[in-house]
Amino acid sequence: MNAMPSLSDPIAMEVFSNRLLSITEDMGNTLIRSSFSTNIKERKDCSVGLFDAAGRLVAQASHIPLHLGSLMGSVKAVLQACPIERMREGDAFVCNDPFLAGGTHTPDIAVVTPVFIEGEPRYIAANVGHHSDVGGPTPGSISGGATSIFAEGLRIPVTRLVRAGELDDGLLNLIAQNSREPEERALDLKVQIASNERGARLVQGLVQQMGLAAVIAATDDLLAYTARRLRNRIRDMADGSAQSSAWLDDDGVGGDPVPIIARVTVEGETLVVDFAGSAPQARGAMNVAESALRATVYYAVKTLLDPGLLPNQGMASCIEIRAPEGSIVNPRFPAATGARSITCNKIARALFGAFAELLPPERAMAASLDSVPVIIFSGERRLQDGTFVYLESMGGGVGARHNADGMDGVHVHVTNTSNLPAEALENEYALLVDEYALVEGSGGAGRHRGGMGIARQIRATRDGVIFSARSDGHRAGAPGLFGGLPGGTARLLRNPGTPQEEELSSKAANLVLKAGESVRLETPGGGGFGAPAERDPRALAIDIADGRFTIEAARRDYGAPLVVRATAED
Amino acid sequence: MYRIGFDVGGTFTDFTVHDVRDGSLRYFKTPSTPADPSEAIEAGLRALFGEFGIAAEEVSFVGHGTTVATNMVIERRGVRTGLITTKGFRDVLEIGRQTRPSLYDYSVANPSPLVPRALRIEVAERIDAAGDELLPLDEEAVSSAARRLGEAGVKAVGICFLHAYLRDAHERRAAEIVRGILPEAYVSTSSEVLPEFREYERFSTTVINAYVGPRMERYLERFLARLNDLGATVPPYTIHSNGGLMSVETVRAFPVRTCLSGPAAGVVGAAEVARAAGFPDVVTYDVGGTSTDVSLIANGRPAFATSRLVADYPVRTPMVDVHVIGAGGGSIAWIDDAGALKVGPHSAGADPGPVAYGQGGKEPTLTDANIVLHRLDPVSLLGGRMTVQEAAAHQAIEEKIASPLGLTVEQAALGIIRIAVSNMSRAIRAVSTEKGHDLANFALFPFGGAGPLHASAVARECGIRRVLVPQEPGTMCARGILMSDISLDFVRSEVVQATEESWPGIMERFASMEAQGRDWLDASQVPTEHRTFARVIDARYKGQNHEVQVTLPDAGGFTLAEFRAAFTVAHRQEYGYDVPDRVIEVVNCRLKAVGAVERPATPPQGAAAAMPAPRASRSVHFDEGWRNTPIFDRVALGAGLRIPGPAIIDEMSSTTVVEPGQSVTMDAAGNLILEIAA
Repeated sequence: MNAMPSLSDPIAMEVFSNRLLSITEDMGNTLIRSSFSTNIKERKDCSVGLFDAAGRLVAQASHIPLHLGSLMGSVKAVLQACPIERMREGDAFVCNDPFLAGGTHTPDIAVVTPVFIEGEPRYIAANVGHHSDVGGPTPGSISGGATSIFAEGLRIPVTRLVRAGELDDGLLNLIAQNSREPEERALDLKVQIASNERGARLVQGLVQQMGLAAVIAATDDLLAYTARRLRNRIRDMADGSAQSSAWLDDDGVGGDPVPIIARVTVEGETLVVDFAGSAPQARGAMNVAESALRATVYYAVKTLLDPGLLPNQGMASCIEIRAPEGSIVNPRFPAATGARSITCNKIARALFGAFAELLPPERAMAASLDSVPVIIFSGERRLQDGTFVYLESMGGGVGARHNADGMDGVHVHVTNTSNLPAEALENEYALLVDEYALVEGSGGAGRHRGGMGIARQIRATRDGVIFSARSDGHRAGAPGLFGGLPGGTARLLRNPGTPQEEELSSKAANLVLKAGESVRLETPGGGGFGAPAERDPRALAIDIADGRFTIEAARRDYGAPLVVRATAED
Repeated sequence: MYRIGFDVGGTFTDFTVHDVRDGSLRYFKTPSTPADPSEAIEAGLRALFGEFGIAAEEVSFVGHGTTVATNMVIERRGVRTGLITTKGFRDVLEIGRQTRPSLYDYSVANPSPLVPRALRIEVAERIDAAGDELLPLDEEAVSSAARRLGEAGVKAVGICFLHAYLRDAHERRAAEIVRGILPEAYVSTSSEVLPEFREYERFSTTVINAYVGPRMERYLERFLARLNDLGATVPPYTIHSNGGLMSVETVRAFPVRTCLSGPAAGVVGAAEVARAAGFPDVVTYDVGGTSTDVSLIANGRPAFATSRLVADYPVRTPMVDVHVIGAGGGSIAWIDDAGALKVGPHSAGADPGPVAYGQGGKEPTLTDANIVLHRLDPVSLLGGRMTVQEAAAHQAIEEKIASPLGLTVEQAALGIIRIAVSNMSRAIRAVSTEKGHDLANFALFPFGGAGPLHASAVARECGIRRVLVPQEPGTMCARGILMSDISLDFVRSEVVQATEESWPGIMERFASMEAQGRDWLDASQVPTEHRTFARVIDARYKGQNHEVQVTLPDAGGFTLAEFRAAFTVAHRQEYGYDVPDRVIEVVNCRLKAVGAVERPATPPQGAAAAMPAPRASRSVHFDEGWRNTPIFDRVALGAGLRIPGPAIIDEMSSTTVVEPGQSVTMDAAGNLILEIAA
């Protein structure tokens, strides 16, 4: 039996929780609605949060798991650089640096604003948005091959951007002009400032409505409740420890596969997550800064133990993270950290693997594509009215679970980004989509099948289109669970289906395509769950009829007897 | 003569009868018959003809809201459907936007496509983004695809080619071939159903249209036969998602446009009732058993959207913007293992329903809390048709909520209501802040059976100061149908920069749609003086992928300069800023052909002679404790009357609660206006 805590007023807490979440939702809506850049407005690559004066996270609206709890780093850095008693009403701080200011990578710029109640700074409103470019040699400021943070654009330590209500135009302009899209930067930063101001007004309204003492009491209840809820889930797990590993194909620059090792230990009501044994920090930009690591761990815990858990300090207080200094999960200055999302998804794979040994099988999930495959094209626009940079971050197969096949062709773990429709991209760019399809045979066989990867094949319609990729999982497929087979590997091809077909490396960079040349990225599938021979023959028959794999592959992976039964029943 | 509107809901089919001679309104309700919804329509019409003394020949207008298409998708009861598509794109329907539906919960998966992979067949053909043919249609492949689909037993075929919104020749030719080989099949092409760019949403909408088409035809046949049996001779209309009426012929071709039929009518009706009452800005709030619908009306105009999910499948068609919240009277109250009291997301729905209904429900619900506190009649509901088991509700709340939390039953029930109200309020705030509205400037317009029960509490939590309760809130959708005009939407999609050179071509798109609209209005026999053509351009700044709607005047020319100015205003309104000198791109041109339906005004409510005596009184529990509370029949109230709270006002389809310290007045149109003390 789980311990039932005594909350001072569970009804008031629930009402308060809704009011708080309304405030972060309002801030998030303001940010998304008013921003200009596609990254924030459409891809919702942004998050907002409320903190108390001590820097405790009270509420967060996170639209992408990679930001879960990541504002904690920025707020901590701001409070260190400028103790709260030195803040003035109307101040706002800006920062992005992973080493100086708790950032996750340079394009994620945070704005942090104190909230004053009756002349005292009592709360902090914060938000972060992914800016599509902050300068540096590569458009987008992220390159897997970047070997130091100095190749990743502008570094912003904690800096006061607004002083007592007065925006520092020079500073804003300095940040904007360091970007390839200065107009967008300035617009979006102003929107970030305004979103916090809106949050501040709403918090002031809430305090006026409830009284400060009641707000503080309800906040304490809410954090205690969240911690209790997670501690109950941790207590449900047997005391013990499990370790699992995941491998990156390379460190972004090349070389051998790179291990990520996660050990999860249940110590009573606390989880200890230790990454000892993980690879040394990467030469390239695959390194994960502290805030991004924390987001990934919180994501895995929330997903596997309690998807409805509120992200606040109560959640964080039950989890201890240890990462060896100088490793890929805790790099030393001046490591590059831009391309961390692929590594974060590999960390999630290792964590899911370790948790699978500590949780009952019905909570476990086989490995997924566990990558964030990105293809980037640049060149002339279709109507020759300028140049374009087109970045597509692709989904793939999700791992199977105890009672369901893995989802086909979706984003997994720390990202969840929409595709650009073929008709939209052909309209804008000198490109043609030859195929957008599920990769047949890519779902790992099992009692429940892993999800299928995605193939996207794009042809240049004019000479001089430049292509780069940032992908992973080209060497080994996503492992299955409890006897399930691995999913298919990723493949990057140039001119597929022609005599000139050639397989490219997962980090192919700056290829120049002539008109009529095409590239094709096939993303990995998910791993299967349970022995393939135990698959429901009807489900197998549908898979075969649907062409999800060939009948030969079915005989190989599921066994001839099951295929006979399946085809007989069809 | 009489005009009759009816809306088929999951539990009840609601009727509103408008007497053309004196403008009066009457309401009626009968249980729905989900197996064949037209059965309840016939039964209801027969009953109300008898009750109100109406002869079938006296019916001059029949309009209906239907969930037939929506339910078919939700329950996967459409026909076996095939898809013929461009080579390389058979999985578009399955990959969708490549996002997972829940960020953290992998037990929530995307739905399987309505066309299984085996029935999605690719053929060689290709049109490019300029509308030029890159590859001719492989007609042989279309024939063989049609034969394969025929052998597989499909009853409907969707034909969806890339860029067909620009050039429909391939789709038209393919449809011709398929119809030749499968003469019985229902065929939909994407260029007919939705000639808009962005392939996934277009394909999905087209496939749903095909999937529901054949059974919708059969339903319409039964519906027409039953009207015929009754002796009603007028051609019936159906309300579509955009809040307009369309003929049976149009529904037959585009059944997907009815996916939001009933709720749209409710919002259109609410907008008109609210505007007439002097409330141009309202948020509507329609509480049902399992869910609550919310929509915004600003400046007397409902918010419109261009797409939404139906059973998790995207449907793109112009529609009234209605947001669904998973909270209603059946939401279950429970305590989690960390000691928090939660209401929902699980619902007892209609079956087993609340504990007090005695139909097997064991978990306490929001409705049970209202019964225990006597906000709802603790003896019987629905005008005495259903008895209520108060003791059972009391016991369930005591055992499951009050004792574990150390509260009295009344405190627990109040807590359940407070939490449900705060859940709903959060959702209402989210809907409004998404659009950048400040709720303080809005009034709340509750309808549906349970809307007026919580309206004042929701208003207070949202910072709204006034509540407008229409007559018979439970039949608002049926009433809205009587306030709708007939209309049909057209669209032309092509992304072009708005320049002096391109502008004549953009205006030409409107001219060609207007010609189509005229033909349709001719066919619908709408006299010229009743016609209007509403024009909208979806446009964006270059570099954005997000359009804002720019409304053009209904008639006459419109210059590029006027358009640029109007775009700037629209962008400011929607997003709070504009970017001077940035290139503007035109994406879609939309035209709505409208034929105004004549409808006499409702007569003013008679003034109150005196304060009526309450029908009864009972002890009702409010925040302040138990209070002896008068119960009024709404029909006994007159205009200008002011009733102080606490009070309960009953009518056939709903119950309005007036809390202590508040008061309610009835306006000249018979609406109840609640003033909320801050």
